[in-house]
This record gives sequence, structure tokens and C-alpha cells, in this order.
Amino acid sequence: MMKKLSGARIVIEALIQENVKVIFGYPGGAVLPIYDELFKQNKIRHILVRHEQAAVHAAEGYARSTGKVGVVLVTSGPGATNTVTGLTDAMMDSVPVVCISGQVPTHMIGNDAFQEADIVGITRPCTKHNYLVKEISKLAESIHSAFHIAKNGRPGPVLVDIPKDIQTFETKYGGKKHTKSVTFYKPNTKPSLDTIVKFVSLLEKSKKPIFYVGGGVINSGSRASLYLKKLLKITGYPCTQTLMGLGATPTSDDQFIGMLGMHGTYEANLSMNKSDLMICIGARFDDRITGKVSGFSPKSKKVHLDIDASSFNKSVNVDLLIQGDLSKILEMTLKHIENKRISFSKEKISAWWNQINKWRAKNCLNYKNSRSIIKPQYALQRLDSLTKHLDPFITTEVGQHQMWAAQFLTFNKPKHWMTSGGLGTMGYGLPAAMGVQIAHPNDLVIDVAGEASILMNIQEMSTIKQYRLPVKIFILNNHYMGMVRQWQELLHGNRLSESYMDSLPDFVKLAESFGATGLRVSKPGEMDDLIKEMIKIKGPVICDVVVDPKENCFPMIPSGSTHDQMLLGPNDKLEGEISEEGMVLV
Amino acid sequence: MTESHSKHILSIMVDNEPGVLARIVGLFSGRGYNIESLSVSEVDSDKFLSRVTIVTSGTKNIVDQIKAQVRKLIPVHNLIDITELKSFLGKELILMKLDIKQKTVLNIYKYIKNIGAKILFEDKTVIIIEFSGTPTEISSLIKKMKVYNIVELTRSGLVSMALGKDYIRR
Ligand SMILES: Cc1ncc(C[n+]2csc(CCOP(=O)(O)OP(=O)(O)O)c2C)c(N)n1
Ligand SMILES: [Mg+2]
Repeated sequence: MMKKLSGARIVIEALIQENVKVIFGYPGGAVLPIYDELFKQNKIRHILVRHEQAAVHAAEGYARSTGKVGVVLVTSGPGATNTVTGLTDAMMDSVPVVCISGQVPTHMIGNDAFQEADIVGITRPCTKHNYLVKEISKLAESIHSAFHIAKNGRPGPVLVDIPKDIQTFETKYGGKKHTKSVTFYKPNTKPSLDTIVKFVSLLEKSKKPIFYVGGGVINSGSRASLYLKKLLKITGYPCTQTLMGLGATPTSDDQFIGMLGMHGTYEANLSMNKSDLMICIGARFDDRITGKVSGFSPKSKKVHLDIDASSFNKSVNVDLLIQGDLSKILEMTLKHIENKRISFSKEKISAWWNQINKWRAKNCLNYKNSRSIIKPQYALQRLDSLTKHLDPFITTEVGQHQMWAAQFLTFNKPKHWMTSGGLGTMGYGLPAAMGVQIAHPNDLVIDVAGEASILMNIQEMSTIKQYRLPVKIFILNNHYMGMVRQWQELLHGNRLSESYMDSLPDFVKLAESFGATGLRVSKPGEMDDLIKEMIKIKGPVICDVVVDPKENCFPMIPSGSTHDQMLLGPNDKLEGEISEEGMVLV
Repeated sequence: MTESHSKHILSIMVDNEPGVLARIVGLFSGRGYNIESLSVSEVDSDKFLSRVTIVTSGTKNIVDQIKAQVRKLIPVHNLIDITELKSFLGKELILMKLDIKQKTVLNIYKYIKNIGAKILFEDKTVIIIEFSGTPTEISSLIKKMKVYNIVELTRSGLVSMALGKDYIRR
């Protein structure tokens, strides 16, 4: 006879069956029965964060650096509402997360009970799916379905809201195998062969091709990266990557021509603009990539490979779309090329490469270095040189430092770059780094931060202390919300409204107060020593890198402009005024 | 760039579970799509399936995007765009309460009989009639009845079905 278990116990058993090793959470009245069950077992490790938003970002960092589902546990009401930013972030960046929230008991729902929030209603648009478990008989099914949905198809966050009485009721649980799923969710992952044939014939014909690679490749898994690397090698075609796609194939590769988009390289954006064939793989023609849509790569044929049908023809119309799991699409493509003995002549694209190399020669990421003041780009170049051999995991906050990190760091492996792309969430990087460090305890994990962003989840220093996480926080301290200041300079007559960061803490003392090491540097000559010392220190470190407060991030395509209207440096002036259309864009 | 807008009837088979309608309607409002009419009811009580009919309009790109987004919702089993099928029919039901105290030009009883409407209720002051027809027929009925004092009316929203062998899978 199978024994009856409490709902709370079933939650834990179901998580164990889903192979969950770690959950990030914060207790409260509505989840006490689950916390009680956590206490009684030792298969799942609980990481106590200091704010529920951070729990979700930590789970995201864990998920993105491992490919597994990140798990969050929070209480009802404020605990649940605090996760909304994190869930939205995971939704925008397609990160598999399961968030379990406590809820007031079923008979109190709808009564404005203490700490009641309609979290299923609130998170409906910012989760891939969510469940309110109203019957104990549906509990196990809902949890297993949540995991299934979170990781299959285009990944995303799923919330399971469990009223407190359900946690105490008892029922039988026969394990995952004997639990029928409440969902029939089965995304189409198999591409059709005839589209592959068409795709390869377009590849063959092109004289000015460009691979435009996004985070979908990383989500599809390491095989997708492997196949893409092969396809790049066979074709010899140039490749650019989105902010989310960095590391899908090694960025040190010679065929890689830099990130594209608003702060992408000159060569990447111009190649997009002038190409005759654009091969978009697991990216979504987001407005940060396209700039003004009507002027986006006007002459190219476009192929779009993606698992998510709703990404097709959303903002840019494409000529050939192939729906499916990217690793399958790429595998079939390679097979077809091999079977038909198709070869790609380097000669056919040599004029194109010559052109690209001319654009490259502009050296668009160049900046004027200084002997007296640290340029943020220089700090990152040194960080890259001195840590590259360690294949560090990099997370970032949001702002100029994020874009510079994307431009100046090397990503030779997928799943080593965690940044908030779609939502642009300041405060993402520190908790994400915690999640990464938990998953990779012996690796170097660095949060490249801005002094403004880091304060948004600085309470997590306490979590870092508690679990002795050797996270390195590399603050490019420019005393400004630099990215805001840059836009104000460019678009608002240099009126720096509320973008100066006054009353900053002493980051060295702040580090020390949390038992971490604080290091400060303000001279370029001391940069290398600081980085070396940071790596040497076994525990957590905050580096306060005092950088030029005035530096701006280039290249930049102002919103509403096209790829060939790029500003390359501080002396590049906008041609005329930014259009009204452009001014309203973010 | 003015692309032509066209009307589409979407028939959607969904799990009949709490919140499913909120998901669909929330998707439309959140992404700024039109809903011209909406009707929903359970159609299979064994499998707990409901059928939703939404009339929407937009350019081809927008309507394709709507369909792709709706299909992504987890409780949605199937969606067909009825307007894209060879032939289909669409009907709507109206209940209308008329004030019949004053005498008017029209012989109301004769008219009701002619168009095949039914009288559901009648007393000295009002009658309630029921009529089902295409949206155009319904609109012309409303127009016609304007000579009476229409006390109130309610419409069910369009329901629709393909002819022949086309059907929405469960
Ligand atoms: C939660 C949140 N609030 C506001 C913004 C808008 N924003 C984008 S970048 C930025 C400034 C970031 O400053 P800092 O962290 O110092 O980075 P910097 O640009 O100086 O490198 C702001 C306020 C945001 N992205 N996220
Ligand atoms: Mg700053």
C-alpha cells in the first residue's frame, strides 16, 4: 500500500524526482509546511536569499550556466509579488525557471486575506504558464507539468501557486512515472526536410552571407553550438551574435565579426545592412538589433531558424522560416550538405570578406586610452587578458558597463555569459552570479557591475557571506548612471537630470562589513595588480574600479536610425535632429 | 505603409479550466489586438474542452502573429482560422425586448414570423424575441426594430463552423 503524504512532502518528493539539487528561496507564513519538509531532508539544498527578486535571478544564473531548470520557493503576497521582475526577466530571456509560491488557504482566496495576492493573475503575462493548485489531487501533476513546460520548446518561467491547506492535506504520490501530466504541451521540434533543402540552396547561392546568431542556439544545447561551429567552418561565412547569443560559438574565432545591434560593431552592423543572405538562428529581430525596421538590411533574403513560431515575421518579414529545435535543424542541414557533397567556394565570398575586412579596419571599438585615468574599456580589456585562460563565468548588471563587457570580453564557451538582455534589469548580475557560483563552486565567477546597478540587489552580499560564495564583483564606478547620462547628452541637450550617483557607499568598507575583501583602484598602472589579486583571493571580492566618469559607449545606433547611421565616437555628430519617431523609442 | 485589414474568425479549442479565458483575453489586450466578438462555452464535458470563437481583424502579419501567440498558450489545443477555409458558416443569436405599448407602422407579428424569429415572452407592455442569423441579418433586424422602443438587447457573439470535411481537431 502506498502511503499518504502531505502536500508539502509531495512538493519536496516531486522536486527530488525532477532531479532538483538546489532551490533559492525565502520563507513566510504561507510556505511554512514546505519549509518544514525541507528541514527534514537532505537531498535538496536551500539557498536563503535576502530578497525574492534575487531568488529568481539566482535561479536564472543557475539555469543559464547549467541548462537545467532553476527553482524558486517564496511565500504568498509580498514574497510572490517580489518575484515579478525576476519572472519577467526570465520570460524575456527564455530562461527555464519554476517558481513555487505559497498562497492563503483555498477557502480564503478572494477575501483579501492577510498576505493574499492574486499572483496567478499578476504573473499570467510574465510567465510561460502558471498554476493555482486548488486540489491536492492536482498537486504532483502541476509540479511535473511545470518542469516539462519550463524546459521544453522555447524555455521560460512557470509559477505554481500552492494554497497552505493544500500543503497540509494528504494524498498518495506514486512518483513522476505514475503521475499523469496535466498538460499535453508538445512543441513541434522537427523541421521538415524540404525547408532544409531550400535553406541549403540559398546558402549555396549567396555571395554576401551573414550568420546572425542568438541565444536560441545556447538554449538548444551544446550540440547546437557544435553543429553551428561546423556549419561556419564548412561555409566560411561571417558570423555575428546578439547580446544573448555571445559564446554560442567562440567569439575569438576569426569568422566572428563582433556583436551586432545598438552597440554592436561597425563591421557586424554593416554586414547585416549590406548582406544578400541573412541567416538568423535563434534570434528574434528585436528592436535593439534592427534599428529602424524599414531600413533594416533592405536587400537581403532572410532565413529564420527558431523553435518559436511566434518569432517568425513579427517585426521583419523573412523569406524562409524553419521551425524546430535548432540542434535538429543544424544537424539535418549538415547531413544534407554532406549527402549531396555540396561544397562552398571561398572564392565566391572573397569580395565580401574583403569588404568586411575594410569595415573591420575601422577598428570601431578603439578608444583613446589614458595614463592618468582608467578607461572602462581598458579595465575590461585587462580583465579579459588576465582571466580568459580560466574561462570565467561572467554576469553583468545593466548599463554602459554591460555593453562594454559584451564588446571587450571573450566568450569561448556557451553558457558562460549571463546578462539581462530582453528586460534590461539593473540588479540582475549579483544574484545571477550567486546562482552561477552555486552551480560551479570551483570556477571563477565575475559580476561586471555599475555602481548604480549593484546597489539594486546589494543585500545579497549577506547571502554571499553565508554560503561563502567566492563571487568577484567588478564595479566600473563612473559615478553616473552612465547609460542614462549618455542618452541625456545625446538626446536631451546634456541636461543630466538625476543621473549623477551621489552619496555612494564606500565599496571597500561595504565589502568588509560583509566579510568580503574590498579593493579599490584608480590608476591605469595598478589595474593588472588589482585583477591578479582579485583572482588570487579565495573568497568574495568587491573591486571598486574608479573609471572615467565621462566615457561613452560606442559604436551606437541611436534609436530610430538604421545600421548605416552609426555613431562611431564622441566626435561623430548626429546628422540633423533625431526624428520624433526616434525620440519616443527607448 | 497601409496594408489591408481583414476580418478573421478564429476557432480555438481549449482546456476548460479556470483562467483560460483570462489568458486569451489578456494576450489580446496586452499585445494590443482587436476583439470584435467573443463567445465561449464548454463543448466536451468528458474531456473538459471549451470552444472559443473570436472575431478579430488586422493585417496579415498581425493576424499571423495573433494565431502564433494564441497557439503558444499552454491550454490551447488547437486553433483554426475559419475564414481561411473554403467555406464556412457563422451565426449569432440575439434576444431583443420591445416596448409594444404604442401602435406603429409595422405589423410586428407578421414581420417576426417572416424572418423566422421566435417570441419567447409576451405581456401587455413588452415582447421578447429570439432570432439567430448572420451578423448582417442581425444588424438589419436591429435597424428595422428601431421604430419600436427597443428596451434592451443582447447578442451572443458569433459562432462559426466550417462546411464539409474541415473541422477543428480536439
Ligand atoms: C531596474 C531598472 N531601472 C532603471 C533602468 C534604466 N537604466 C538603464 S541603464 C541605467 C544606469 C545604470 O547605471 P550603472 O549601473 O552605474 O551603469 P553604467 O551605465 O554607469 O555603466 C538605468 C538607470 C533599468 N535598466 N533597470
Ligand atoms: Mg555607473
